[in-house]
Amino acid sequence: MTSTLKIEGLRVEVAGKEVLRGFDLTMHSGEVHVIMGPNGSGKSTLAHALTGHPGYKVLDGSVTIDGVELLTLSPTERARHGLLLALQQPLEVPGVRPLDLLVAAGADPTNLRDRMRAEAERVELRPDVLDRFVNVDLSGGERKRAEMIQLAILRPKFAVLDEIDSGLDVDALGAVARRLSMATTEWDCGVLAITHFRRLLNELTPTMIHVVSGGRVVATGGPELSEILERDGYEPFRTPQS
Amino acid sequence: MKLFADSASSFIADRPDAAARHLAWSAFEAEGLPVTSDEVWRYAPLGDLSLDRFRVAREPDRFADSPFASELCSRAGLVVRVVDGFCVDAGTAPDGVVVESVDSPRSLNGDTLLARYASDTFALMNAALAPASTVIRVAPGVVVDQPIVVLNVTNATSSFPRTMIELGRGASATVVEYYEGGAEALVVPLSEYAIGDNASLQLITYQRLASSAWHVARTTGFLHRDARLRQAVIGMGGHYDRSRNDAEMLETGSENELRTTFLGSGSQVHDFRTHQFHKAGRSRSTLLSKGAVADDSRSVYTGLIEIEKGAKRTDARQTNHNLLLSPSAHADSVPNLDIRENDVMCAHASSVGPLNELQRWYLESRGVSRDEAERLMIQGFFNEMLTTLPAELAQLVEADVTSILATVRVVTP
Repeated sequence: MTSTLKIEGLRVEVAGKEVLRGFDLTMHSGEVHVIMGPNGSGKSTLAHALTGHPGYKVLDGSVTIDGVELLTLSPTERARHGLLLALQQPLEVPGVRPLDLLVAAGADPTNLRDRMRAEAERVELRPDVLDRFVNVDLSGGERKRAEMIQLAILRPKFAVLDEIDSGLDVDALGAVARRLSMATTEWDCGVLAITHFRRLLNELTPTMIHVVSGGRVVATGGPELSEILERDGYEPFRTPQS
Repeated sequence: MKLFADSASSFIADRPDAAARHLAWSAFEAEGLPVTSDEVWRYAPLGDLSLDRFRVAREPDRFADSPFASELCSRAGLVVRVVDGFCVDAGTAPDGVVVESVDSPRSLNGDTLLARYASDTFALMNAALAPASTVIRVAPGVVVDQPIVVLNVTNATSSFPRTMIELGRGASATVVEYYEGGAEALVVPLSEYAIGDNASLQLITYQRLASSAWHVARTTGFLHRDARLRQAVIGMGGHYDRSRNDAEMLETGSENELRTTFLGSGSQVHDFRTHQFHKAGRSRSTLLSKGAVADDSRSVYTGLIEIEKGAKRTDARQTNHNLLLSPSAHADSVPNLDIRENDVMCAHASSVGPLNELQRWYLESRGVSRDEAERLMIQGFFNEMLTTLPAELAQLVEADVTSILATVRVVTP
């Protein structure tokens, strides 16, 4: 069944400042949408607001998956409705093991360890990381690969990836992008990837690119948009700041 | 305290080393019970402590292993059973290990217990009233593969267990000291660990006494050249749970890693004290103290790092984190440093606060419910303490902690 993630008129305030100012985006299962934009354009705010991060205040708008409004739900319920956020800097949770996290998140415990190992292999992550506490003492690249294991086990309808290429070397970026790419066919995962680098697109073919500036989408198009960005930068897309 | 004193003097009169015990008892009487105006006893509910509720046991009461104790013992290579302070079963020690019950007034550092613990009223009680020292000796060079479990059960109204563990040069062992029972009882353990040159002791003290017990424990590690002591102390039970854990780095290259943790609920008080005493250079200590207090419970952490003049290139680190699980719970953290040498590395950090909101959100955003996220994080406090344990033991203790956590109410601000 095809699912639809719909963001309409989303306005979000951070520390008293309105950062998202009427954000719209619609995407479907199996698609890859890439959000690009300069620093401060509101990209990360979008990711955090979608999952209900404390400190991000939604002023107005709607986010639905298949018609179910997410913004009134707790972060837990949003995840259980099929939305998973992979963070720019995945947090350390000392004392909590990845397996226990996944079981508590609702993963089927049957053969879970084996499935996690297999997924670790697919993103070229040393299996002993699975026995460490969540993200503790992992490098930036290891953390992102570890989040791909969460993704593969939890199989969300939509994965939101915040700055997935920051702090990653080429190998890690390739591994993460390939895993995401496979997810789009394996369980029809919709991927919403936020980035301000173009190099991600070499590994992950977008269905659509959205350029964000001043807290809203200012241009939407196919892969050709990235060529314009490559040539001219974000300048042609800038909107006057209020 | 006549009734308790009478039972003490009739107990002492029957012991072969009555003279030494009399001296310790007199010192205890002279010292008297502490008062809350004394800073180090400020948080103890001393008003609830009437010694006449207790009697000194003349022989061990009957006992049966609890389900947890049975599980623990099934994972051990050697089980030593101590009931009401009496060693009732020394087990079958593997080659190179000796377990014996020794009537001796001596500390492992060579002094008499009386001299060593001259101003510690509860340690003096133990010096006078422990039925004997349960001594576990590992011969030089012997590596004990399977964990040794010392099962301490208190069925009487008081117990004074005394454990002495000695590792010869190059020896290595894992020991679990487990305490249970103690309903309405006074439990005063005294333990010492002497670790020879290049020997390594991994130790876990798991205190799971009844919530009505008074528990006043003291442990000391004596570390020789390149010796290693990795110690984890977990306090769950007790009405008042006081645990003082000291390490003396006597010779160069010695290393102490101490992890202490507790969970307070109801009106419990957990009172943790540490003293890392660096007497020689190139010695290292790492201390991680983490605790959680729920309901109306409170905790105190007081830690002293002391570095002797001349103990060059010592590295000492102390971290204390306290988790408040209810608005009426309270935690105090008092780190202290006494450094008499310049060429050292020393750091300390402490915090008191509720569960980390961002970590909780991170778990929630994976689909974990708030309650589950909080339990995972609190459980995580304890899991961190167990990382050095053999996996089968760590799993057992973790599962036990989980079952206790399930009964604790978390109130977030």
